[in-house]
Amino acid sequence: MSDATLHDAQPTKRSLHQIDARTKRRNAAESRFKMLGIGAIGIGIAFLVILLSTIVVNGVSAFQQSFLEVPVYLDPAKLDKKGNRDPADLKKATTFTYAPLIEKGLLEVVQTAGIETPLSKTKDMKNLISSSAAAQLRDRVLADPSLIGQTVTAKILASSRVDGYLKGRVHRAEIAQDKNITVEQLDLADALIKAGILHKSFNLDFILGSDASDSRAEQAGIGVSMLGSFYMMLVVLVLALPIGVAASIYLEEFAPKNRFTDLIEVNISNLAAVPSIVFGILGLAVFIQFAHLPQSAPLVGGLVLTLMTLPTIIISTRAALKAVPPSIRDAALGIGASKMQATFHHVLPLAMPGILTGTIIGLAQALGETAPLLLIGMVGFIATNAPDGFWDGFVSPNSAMPAQIYEWAKRADPAFYERAWGGIIILLIFLLGMNIIAIILRRKFERRW
Amino acid sequence: MAVLWIAVLLAALTLGGFFAGRMRALQTAGGDPRLLHSLPSYSGTLVAMATLLPALILYVLVVVFRADPVLQIVVTVVGALIGLALSLRLIARDFRARNAVEAGIKGLLIAAASLAILTTIGIVLSLVFNTIEFFRLYPITKFFFGTEWTPSFGGGSELGILPLLWGTLYISFIALAVAVPIGLFAAIYLSEYATRSVRGVVKPLLEVLAGIPTIVYGLFALLTVGPFLLSIFGPAGPTAAFADGGWMHAGTAVMTAGLVMGIMLIPFVSSLSDDIINAVPQSLRDGSYGLGATKSETIKQVVLPAALPGIVGAVLLAASRAIGETMIVVLGAGAAARLSMNPFEAMTTVTAKIVSQLTGDADFASPEALVAFSLGMTLFILTLGLNIFALYIVRKYREQYE
Amino acid sequence: MNDMTFTERAVTTDEIKITARDVQVHYGETHAIKDVSVDILDKTVTAFIGPSGCGKSTFLRCLNRMNDTIDICRVEGDILLDGEDIYDKRVDPVQLRAKVGMVFQKPNPFPKSIYDNVAYGPKIHGLIRSRAELDEVVESSLRKAALWNEVKDRLHAPGTGLSGGQQQRLCIARAVATSPEVLLMDEPCSALDPIATAQVEELIDELRANFSVVIVTHSMQQAARVSQKTAFFHLGNLVEYDDTDKIFTNPTDPRTESYITGRIG
Repeated sequence: MSDATLHDAQPTKRSLHQIDARTKRRNAAESRFKMLGIGAIGIGIAFLVILLSTIVVNGVSAFQQSFLEVPVYLDPAKLDKKGNRDPADLKKATTFTYAPLIEKGLLEVVQTAGIETPLSKTKDMKNLISSSAAAQLRDRVLADPSLIGQTVTAKILASSRVDGYLKGRVHRAEIAQDKNITVEQLDLADALIKAGILHKSFNLDFILGSDASDSRAEQAGIGVSMLGSFYMMLVVLVLALPIGVAASIYLEEFAPKNRFTDLIEVNISNLAAVPSIVFGILGLAVFIQFAHLPQSAPLVGGLVLTLMTLPTIIISTRAALKAVPPSIRDAALGIGASKMQATFHHVLPLAMPGILTGTIIGLAQALGETAPLLLIGMVGFIATNAPDGFWDGFVSPNSAMPAQIYEWAKRADPAFYERAWGGIIILLIFLLGMNIIAIILRRKFERRW
Repeated sequence: MAVLWIAVLLAALTLGGFFAGRMRALQTAGGDPRLLHSLPSYSGTLVAMATLLPALILYVLVVVFRADPVLQIVVTVVGALIGLALSLRLIARDFRARNAVEAGIKGLLIAAASLAILTTIGIVLSLVFNTIEFFRLYPITKFFFGTEWTPSFGGGSELGILPLLWGTLYISFIALAVAVPIGLFAAIYLSEYATRSVRGVVKPLLEVLAGIPTIVYGLFALLTVGPFLLSIFGPAGPTAAFADGGWMHAGTAVMTAGLVMGIMLIPFVSSLSDDIINAVPQSLRDGSYGLGATKSETIKQVVLPAALPGIVGAVLLAASRAIGETMIVVLGAGAAARLSMNPFEAMTTVTAKIVSQLTGDADFASPEALVAFSLGMTLFILTLGLNIFALYIVRKYREQYE
Repeated sequence: MNDMTFTERAVTTDEIKITARDVQVHYGETHAIKDVSVDILDKTVTAFIGPSGCGKSTFLRCLNRMNDTIDICRVEGDILLDGEDIYDKRVDPVQLRAKVGMVFQKPNPFPKSIYDNVAYGPKIHGLIRSRAELDEVVESSLRKAALWNEVKDRLHAPGTGLSGGQQQRLCIARAVATSPEVLLMDEPCSALDPIATAQVEELIDELRANFSVVIVTHSMQQAARVSQKTAFFHLGNLVEYDDTDKIFTNPTDPRTESYITGRIG
């Protein structure tokens, strides 16, 4: 190799113990590059922290609500003009009859507490009180007519503006244009707080209650739509788990390698990546337009989410089946079990923890999904009524948690935003719970072959 | 209430069929199950299946054809009885009940697997029929080449898809511009630098971002990111001096939606890239280290070029996600269809318009509602194309190193 | 080349290139290398032989600190290159590996062109100043690896498209291009067919003119064919280290004898 001399001359010897300038430069580039990676991860985690803390900061207040403790005299002269306590007649007294009683009660409280305020008419109290208070009091009286004639202490929802004032959402400087509250009323609210009549307390109705109309943000709760989500998840679980497991068993254990099987495989992997809104279009066209199933029904929502979740469940179930070693199948076949028996008696039980984990994760995905629900009509109305019975829950119009959150986000009154953030907290708690169950299942039953 | 009656009757018949089949099998063997080909419970299961399955198929048919409730009950129950009677006659001492049951179960398994094909057919049909209907009412060229989107339910709408496509692509581009560098660098750090314990903490944390529902991101865009951007780029912000009255006029904008979507896609990009980088064989890294390359030189000049096809596939999958994302753009991007370059302006997307055209009170037969199906068709084809292409690239890439 | 013929040998130099003293290597709980001391000569081919798992590859990877990339690996003792401790805190493994190149068991060309594969080392170490110089380095390295004539017309074709033997010679060219002082080879022929093996062996003998070569091999015939010095490893110990013909004809240690006569390993 005589022609290869040029490169043979040894470069001038350099000590290993001295780092040359070029190596220093290269090492600097190295640490810069590493910093880029750390930076990327830092940004990712910072986003997570910002997102979660935004949710908590904005949403926690939804779990607290402002209430007024007001003794209300249930005047028989107004509520029961005939004096016979006949329920049919009592129902004739509308909320318009009850509202002034509450306002009067509040005014009396103000006066007996010796609070100085220019507001001296019952009408002036109206803006402090939620318009739902009268309906609640009426329900109470109808349930127990013997209360009429007594003075009952009612825990009454404060109006959304007062609630916002207590929570720092409504400021004095900004209410000049607001018809629903005045500065004097806010002064009065301050005094009522001092007197211990107006206070914030835990708001169970937000978790269990139903949605309320546009003007009653203080009354809106997520309970009914939670029920809607529950029914949808029931449908998804009952349909997607067996169908998903059956499909996976066929593909993993029985399917011959042919074009039909390939077609199924291609379909599954593509369906997993189809945008969720397209499943909404499918639901609208097939279940509502064609099959005439009721709009806004959790049943339809469940069906759509089932189709959407199936690919996820199939993919994870197949992974779980694949993880069961062939020796188990051989052992069962070797003692004369049929292939079907080997699969159902031996392989499937061993794969079950993995299947359940995948199913729970699929369900969690379905629980948070919103877009397809918009198209099948699960938004745009007020989900006020709980279903009339277990079976009715599948077909009676309802919302779902994420759809309810969307609905609140779209409303004009910013008081609903707090509801939306609070709803997200509840939704995330459910998701967290499901994921924790999945992790525990995996940890507990994970088997290394 | 026909459903409840049918359910109760079918359950009773099926259960009856099971015991009848079992008993008949035992009878034919004179009470000695050892003489039978199959266990008696297989005979029972066969009869139960033969009772239930035809009845269920009949039920679906009567529901689809909207027969009246009494007819529904009669047809299903008669179907069940026929199935029961016929299958019961089959039971004999040498009858291979187990094989028959297994064939039946296999049929069910195949049916379950075929549901994926049915779903795709359902999607395609529901899009195609309504799209054809739409193009009967509205010229196809105006839809694909129109630059105006001004639907009005009173008629005279302009329904050109271009402004929507522009908004979609613009927002997706911003989302990818955020997600790809962050996701990729995070993946590089996690797979090449991080110790096992750091990886064990950071990877799940990033994946939390992927588990958060899109409605949450939507709300975050609408109520947090939008107002924040407005306070910087809006008329009252520090940049207002550069542009006449600020670049941004409302919280909802391309930038708002794109930024938030980018955050959502970070874990998607990072976990896909992580898998792909891990698939690069260690021997290539060793070869590079053995020559005295530093880690970053190895990554930049050996690992990334080797992983490039896979990473391109991952980016395409992320792009398809971004294009199909709905809730973030519905809440964060605005409603105005616009062909503009300003990323701080409100624009709208294909998905957002599908929602708005189908959630109004519009008549389903009007072009204003039907256009949603054509938009859906466009979206479906676009994302399907991207997915197939991306999955193809990723698969080819995997095969290379297997 | 017949099986047990010895190449024209007589160790050409007595200059010591690498000195190892009392080297211990731990893999987690496992004590992989025990008390190994050895002097490796310049311009000499040194073979490490021994049964699988005896630690010969592990020891080889200590010589350019490739073990650093494995988290659980711990190295103790002294290894000196030209009298300088390579495990000294001041030593940058990157600089060390430029001097001590390595060729691996399986050919691992980068997914780049043949040219770029060879140019990789000189580029990252900044050994060249111009394109023309780089061309020259690539050509001379490929010539040294006896690959030039086969690839000169397709320098920009991907390196992964070559045959197994060509790929391995490309990897050798790649290592040679950084002009190292020592070349470590970890069973470089184990993935090759006999013809390719013969070519690579011939090449190793030629490389001796310029480098100190250390080769780990499974094949005693190979050690006999290419090396001047041989070290026999067994269960993490260096059992015997001597001139190759001495080891194969008249080993001192009974274990060495058992191994070369086929009783252990």
